[in-house]
Amino acid sequence: MTVSADWTSTRVALAGLRDALSFPAWAVGFGLVGIGSLARDVGYSVDLAVLSTILVWAGPSQVIFFASIAAGAAWSAIAIAIGFASLRFLPMTVAILPLLRRPGQGVWEQLFLAHFVAVTAWSEGLRRLPHVPDNQRVPYFLGFAGTCMTVSSIGTFSGYYLVGALPIPFAAGLLCLTPIFFLASLSAGIRHRGDVAAMALGLLLAPLCDRFIGGGFDLIVAGVIGGSIAFVIGRRAAKPA
Amino acid sequence: MTQPIPWLDGPLWPYLALLLFAVLPTEIWRWLAVAFARRIDADSPALEWVRCVATALLAGVVAKLIVSPPGALAAIPGALRVGALAVTLAIMAYDRRRVMFAVLAGEATLIGGGLLLV
Repeated sequence: MTVSADWTSTRVALAGLRDALSFPAWAVGFGLVGIGSLARDVGYSVDLAVLSTILVWAGPSQVIFFASIAAGAAWSAIAIAIGFASLRFLPMTVAILPLLRRPGQGVWEQLFLAHFVAVTAWSEGLRRLPHVPDNQRVPYFLGFAGTCMTVSSIGTFSGYYLVGALPIPFAAGLLCLTPIFFLASLSAGIRHRGDVAAMALGLLLAPLCDRFIGGGFDLIVAGVIGGSIAFVIGRRAAKPA
Repeated sequence: MTQPIPWLDGPLWPYLALLLFAVLPTEIWRWLAVAFARRIDADSPALEWVRCVATALLAGVVAKLIVSPPGALAAIPGALRVGALAVTLAIMAYDRRRVMFAVLAGEATLIGGGLLLV
């Protein structure tokens, strides 16, 4: 949808809402249904599950949180794993902020905008924002990302109640939504051989480390070893032979 | 199951745990990006390494959820869980833009197989 420079902020935000509902919001919301199921599985309340979607706003962090609690990992290990998994937000946010900059913008507005940075809102934002007039980008982005967050909150809420009410194969399907969705979106973001290696090594090393390293630090060890090898492979591939 | 930290335990513990161990380690990077946006080169090798580690970590989370699955997912045979992931991966390898289709096909494999076997 094209946005005109003379529209009111409300109309621009509604255009963002419409674009989000055209598919992206459903994709994220769908992916976060599984979070509700995982939260219920560890015995946490439904408001905590929905709150995690709004406040954390990062599917991977939420999955690590609930899945690690279920697995009995140490709290420090959970925080470190989530920190590592979320480090990607640093370069992502750095890349999108210049697009959303406007004269007289304070730190608080930037912090608020940065909170909405997550895989979908970010990749879609980078793709769509350049076509939106400078002065309309903030309302457009908030309309877009806010819609993604609202749909996801409803998804998380539904997942919480659905998992207990459904027959086992369907409940299993809900719990499996998250890993399947992650795998698909990781593959969608692959740019070069290093990314393929990182994915493959992560898949292989995590179950191995799980067997030999205790306390929930297995995930971090698998990520650092697999990621570092993949980094070297990616650098070699990028160099002209 | 991870137990609450004893001296912080109480009715509000789950919320405190969410804030301390999930919101903080996630949000801090968005804050740092705001603070240092003008000084960070988004293409530097250090950030590329971070990206690789994050990718491997996420793939690791996927593998762990499949190998030691939560709740009802454990009732589904391991081969079927791996099979569902393989279907998703195969479709993504064929056409990377078909995220929704790949997810639905993987789910259909898991649920369909589950209905037949469980």
